[in-house]
Amino acid sequence: MLCQNCGRNEATTHIKRIVDGESSELHLCSGCAQHLGYAGMFSGFGSNIGTLLSRFFPETAMLPETEEERCPGCGATFDEIVRSGAMGCAECYDVFYDRLKPSLSRIHGRATHVGKTSATRDDRMERRAELRRLEEERNAAVQAEEYEKAAVLRDRIRELRGETK
Amino acid sequence: MTKWYMLSGKENDVAVSSKVSLARNLRDHVFTNRLSTEEKDQIADEVSAVIFEQLPEKFVLTHMNTLSRYAAISLAERDLVSPEFVSVQEGRSFLTTPDESLSLMICEEDHVKIQALLPGLELTRSYELADRLDTILDEALGFSFDNKLGYLTQCPTNIGTAMRGSVVLQLPAMRILGRIRHLSNTVSRLGLVLTGAYGEGDSPIGSLYLLSNQVTLGISEEAALGNLDSIALSIIEQEREARKELMENLQFQDMLWRSCGTLKSARVMSFQEFMEALSVVKIGIAAGEFDLPMNTVNELIFAMQPATLNTEAGEDLSRQERDALRAEKVRAVFADVQQ
Repeated sequence: MLCQNCGRNEATTHIKRIVDGESSELHLCSGCAQHLGYAGMFSGFGSNIGTLLSRFFPETAMLPETEEERCPGCGATFDEIVRSGAMGCAECYDVFYDRLKPSLSRIHGRATHVGKTSATRDDRMERRAELRRLEEERNAAVQAEEYEKAAVLRDRIRELRGETK
Repeated sequence: MTKWYMLSGKENDVAVSSKVSLARNLRDHVFTNRLSTEEKDQIADEVSAVIFEQLPEKFVLTHMNTLSRYAAISLAERDLVSPEFVSVQEGRSFLTTPDESLSLMICEEDHVKIQALLPGLELTRSYELADRLDTILDEALGFSFDNKLGYLTQCPTNIGTAMRGSVVLQLPAMRILGRIRHLSNTVSRLGLVLTGAYGEGDSPIGSLYLLSNQVTLGISEEAALGNLDSIALSIIEQEREARKELMENLQFQDMLWRSCGTLKSARVMSFQEFMEALSVVKIGIAAGEFDLPMNTVNELIFAMQPATLNTEAGEDLSRQERDALRAEKVRAVFADVQQ
């Protein structure tokens, strides 16, 4: 589909609008979207979600999927997230964090959250990150044949997972 | 019932409305794009149960699929829901107070979007209203949150505070004087965005512009809204200066009186024609040329919208009947306006 503004380039930004009592959609190329003030973001949330996100993953989207890692929370693969432009669930942020990171820093810089915090936040995300770190350490220990260290790490992993010895 | 947009607000000669929205997701559900209609309805039930039980205001729950097309679009015209939200009505619901100042969109992009809308420039109070609702829902239901990334949203662009503050500004004088492009470039360097509120970016209907914050990660709610508020105030000052300049100009005075004539005597008036005339006449009202309360004028911006008129006056109103009805209502308001 061609851009409705310039009629020359492929439309990549799709904006839902209300015009004269009807719901309609505006299709723009990225240049015109920028020029008309729909630049890289949205006039509210949810105006052009899909295309927005896929634009943020230009090079990661090209990576071949070696094995289809799925998010245990919702079953989404990273490829599905890029194609739909939407994360599957909160856990996706943790599972695919490394692959999201370049896009996140392109959108948000190196910032971390400042401001209101959820009163009921759980530490599941942090626990998972810690688990992954310990597993990597254990694998390294096994590779280096440091079996005593690996055993200690294994016990801590089990403990963190809530498994009994 | 008195709606929020009928009331008078601060700086309302330029600022029409202020809105703060918070996007939130329930911890125990996958994101909206992976939910079935039944699961979406279940979220609506969970959220409304807490709202009905714990909030003093009387909220009303509406399932979007029970609304006619015009009634749904009218909600978007009054800025209560997004155009995206009404594009699909299945599985979506909506909670609001009778004055429509506090509302929740359920299963738009995120599970819950809390919104507070007030007349004029009132970002701090809007945030307080939204924040209180957010805290109550969080304690009862638990929202997805990460220490580093903040509130987790379906689209990674919104993580962090997941808050969007916006002010609708009516800037006819700056538009007539060709100052919008420069203004828009300036605010984008300050981390904000200026877009047309209705219609295309470059020539929005009635010179209504939406000024909103872009950055959600690494800046607190207070700082983001403080920034938005002070830039909005500076734009308001610039618009007032531009209006003064225009009032000195004979050509503009002619335009002003002709526009007033349109509002006083037209028999058929499209929404666009109405809004263009209104935005010009507003300059005259602010300068004391015409005697009419600003909130009466601002209320018309919402009440005269196409689908809103259709919803109020009957669904089968044709376009021409609608334009005639609009002209009649506008004439009634401007009938006694004199120099």
